[in-house]
Amino acid sequence: MPYFDYKTWIPRIVIGVLIAIFVILPVFTTSVITLSIFISSGIWTIAVMGFTLVLRTGQFSMGQAAFMALGAYASAILTVNLGMPFWPSFLLSGIISGIIALIIGLIVLRVGGIYFSIITLAFGELVRIFAQEAEGITRGVRGIIPPTPPTISLLGFDINFAAGNPVPYYYFMIILVAITAIIFWRIEHSRIGGTFASLALNQTLAEHQGIHLMKYRVIAFTIAGVFTGFAGAFYANFLSIITPFMFGLWQSIQIMMMSVVGGISSIVGGALIGATILYTLGIYLSRLPIYNIQYVVFGTVVVLVLLFLPKGTGLVDLWGKFWRKVFREPDEYEIPEESEMAVE
Amino acid sequence: MPLLELNGITKLFGKLAALEDIDLNVEEGEILGIVGPNGSGKTTLINVISGYYRPTMGTIYFNSKKISGLRPDQIAAKGIVRTFQSNVLFEGATVLESMLIGSLLRYKTTDWQAFFETKAYRKDNEEVVGRVIELLKTFNIFNDIFLPAAGLSHGYQRMLGITLALIANPKVLLLDEPTTGMNHEEAMFVVENIKKIGEQGVTVILIEHNMKVILNVATRVVVLNFGNKIAEGKPEDVMNKSEVIEAYLGTETI
Repeated sequence: MPYFDYKTWIPRIVIGVLIAIFVILPVFTTSVITLSIFISSGIWTIAVMGFTLVLRTGQFSMGQAAFMALGAYASAILTVNLGMPFWPSFLLSGIISGIIALIIGLIVLRVGGIYFSIITLAFGELVRIFAQEAEGITRGVRGIIPPTPPTISLLGFDINFAAGNPVPYYYFMIILVAITAIIFWRIEHSRIGGTFASLALNQTLAEHQGIHLMKYRVIAFTIAGVFTGFAGAFYANFLSIITPFMFGLWQSIQIMMMSVVGGISSIVGGALIGATILYTLGIYLSRLPIYNIQYVVFGTVVVLVLLFLPKGTGLVDLWGKFWRKVFREPDEYEIPEESEMAVE
Repeated sequence: MPLLELNGITKLFGKLAALEDIDLNVEEGEILGIVGPNGSGKTTLINVISGYYRPTMGTIYFNSKKISGLRPDQIAAKGIVRTFQSNVLFEGATVLESMLIGSLLRYKTTDWQAFFETKAYRKDNEEVVGRVIELLKTFNIFNDIFLPAAGLSHGYQRMLGITLALIANPKVLLLDEPTTGMNHEEAMFVVENIKKIGEQGVTVILIEHNMKVILNVATRVVVLNFGNKIAEGKPEDVMNKSEVIEAYLGTETI
């Protein structure tokens, strides 16, 4: 393009600056609380991206937190019980979680729809109850304490994952979120994203256009399972404890709420906004003296978003709206009701 | 050797036979019209061929390979593509988006190649997009590609349905009442295009109520009534048969 296309570049530059601020945040603050909030937000972002990807294929998973549990327990059991080093066990955690998602998907996604939601709900609880009851493997409600990741020596610096120093975990989170975001962004904006969307837009038509429903539903669910598993494994290592209560039904619902509030019109953007806002809100609300106030507020936020930003646009859509206001451009995709084409 | 062969196709809904022991051969390159009163089983026939329903009894062969019992996407991949009687759209997608997400069968590259946007994929994509634009231009909806498909008028939505079927690379095209809700000019425009599609070597099976369309375009006609085939032959001959007139207008009782 011969001229500076400010309408696309200014929003991009603003996003770039925001990302840069996040990357160098530990330079300004090493406050454990601030960094911990961002680390946890990042972990939930990954889980929400997985949920939204599955939702993009028209399937509503109600047990995504179970895959975090699978990843967390897989990594912890491999290191603590089987003595595997940290990094291979971390890699395996996502793969194990993905394989289980694949198996569940192959069984349930044949029918899809409401049955898929019910089975994933049941599966989520099944994983939690198993973790609670199978004391020989998971130590039950006492939980497992995973070992801290080994110190990495890089360019003369020692990156020490000791408790009380959140900075290495912060960068670990940034890298994990970045890798996941890049992959999900590519999926969303490449051909396979369109194929996924076609399943949600019109399943019958998609099938008659030669799209194998099962295959693409299972692919989406498996990808979500893999990355949610990584998120879970990392979460467990960051908190240095895994208990069955960390990944229950409430956490699955929280993932859904984050997805709805952030918006599903952009997988990565919606997940980042939804997870960060709701997680931060939840932390500050839980410090108030009113018991369980965060649940009330979360519910209210979801209702407000659904009322004022319907059709899954969520808060991420405000970003586009804001720039269209700034540049005085009309909103996209408005059907001109009185036009010739619409009425005829 | 017929291209598409239906042997004793029966489709029961409960005890109601929507299709009863239908035998039908479709030759390569012909435009076969299927007519019949409402409820005679025309759409069920297309639903059975395209895999939307499984036949209760009987087998369907395509290129002498059995296709009955396959999934719709497998049948579409073999080259039997359909349109729908009511306007079935990708809700919320624009015309161009609908065409692009519906054109998976056109691509030769895998999802991996698409994910990494390899050279082969970019070349492939260029070809597909070119073909999409060409088709949209042929069917006069190129000016509205950025409109939501749901915002198009009924007639244009039908055209979009036909272009969607054509982008899936059909060898046999099943058209379920392509001209309903269109005015005369639009219907004749579609007829011309169906003829052109036929000339390009695509076999067409056409369900139609509009007799003018059938007489104009079909090379052979099959008449269905209550799930049975009651007549078959050249359009002009079939239309004058007493059973056909009876089925459409009732029996003379004088």
